[in-house]
Amino acid sequence: MSGCDCSKAKAELEEFLHDELRHEDAADIREHMDGCEDCLTEHRVGVVLMETVKRACRETAPEQLRDEVLARLRAVQSTH
Amino acid sequence: MIALAPSRTADTALLPRAVTTLAEPQGPDTTVRLDWRAMTTDEPQHAPDDLVDETEEQLDAVEDEDLAGLDADAGPEPVDAKTVSEHELRRLFEDQALPFMDQLYGAAMRMTRNPADASDLVQETFVKAFAAFRQFRQGTNLKAWLYRILTNTFINTYRKNQRNPYQGTIDELEDWQLGGAESVTQSISARSAEADAIDHLPSSAVKDALQAIPEDFRMAVYFADVEGFSYQEIADIMKTPVGTVMSRLHRGRRLLRGLLAEHARETGIVPDAASTATMRGRGRGAGTRAATTAGTRTTRKDAR
Repeated sequence: MSGCDCSKAKAELEEFLHDELRHEDAADIREHMDGCEDCLTEHRVGVVLMETVKRACRETAPEQLRDEVLARLRAVQSTH
Repeated sequence: MIALAPSRTADTALLPRAVTTLAEPQGPDTTVRLDWRAMTTDEPQHAPDDLVDETEEQLDAVEDEDLAGLDADAGPEPVDAKTVSEHELRRLFEDQALPFMDQLYGAAMRMTRNPADASDLVQETFVKAFAAFRQFRQGTNLKAWLYRILTNTFINTYRKNQRNPYQGTIDELEDWQLGGAESVTQSISARSAEADAIDHLPSSAVKDALQAIPEDFRMAVYFADVEGFSYQEIADIMKTPVGTVMSRLHRGRRLLRGLLAEHARETGIVPDAASTATMRGRGRGAGTRAATTAGTRTTRKDAR
């Protein structure tokens, strides 16, 4: 028995998701979720939220910006 | 009390993490502030001079702090940026720093909310970073260093012109004042459907929701979820205690979840709880099914 109940698991799910728990605490949560659909579902919402944000925020800098930055760096250097 | 790991210890075998010194458990309320020089692999770097000059009083103090005792333990440097020629330095910078342009631009978009300002912000960030690059210690966390300059530049250049009534007080608001999802009151099937719905939301809806939450919360979510920075790295970038990072991240994600769930219901992506019972446990791909049953949805008061 891991000694991890739902309230402990729920309280630490965010830290579990963000990989901020100690190894043994993370193992407890994992073990608890194996037998707890409630916490597993809660975790799944957290994972989906993270992946959705990650996907939505993917950006590509405009080509023009790259050129401007390179030009600025060269200009900065030539004044030194 | 939540025991924080030494920020993703080596045995997790993920990205090389910044902090390995935070061995003691830390609660969410801890106000211990570890700055760059307390980090084993992320030594503090000289901030660009003009960055310090234009910094507001409050940030001045922080920068001065960071500038103190910088060269205490200069480690081995594969390339000595202090002695290379100007030309080599620029080439090194272009090779190492410019690949982060897309990522920095993404963060700048979330900060400034428009492409023109985001481009300006990224450009300023690179110019300042290059000006300070000779002091950057090779082998340390360049990405976090760049993000810190980006964040400072944003605060100094853009936020200064805004009068946000919530600035400085948002962290003190109670949860009930902020609102957000009340996930624990939902059934398993309802939450499972919520996950499916969020998964299928268009990026525009997600970005709108991000823009709708307080800036400090938004950026904590961005740094953690999009960039994968550790709590400690975010604390260093945002110049705030780890406990505050956790609070901002939790609250930001809770608000975001509430907004996205609300949006999904309004646009008919989420069916009512009863009809989702059969969807339980299904992963991605259930969204089209959810959409077809959306007509039967009823008003729910969860997620608010």
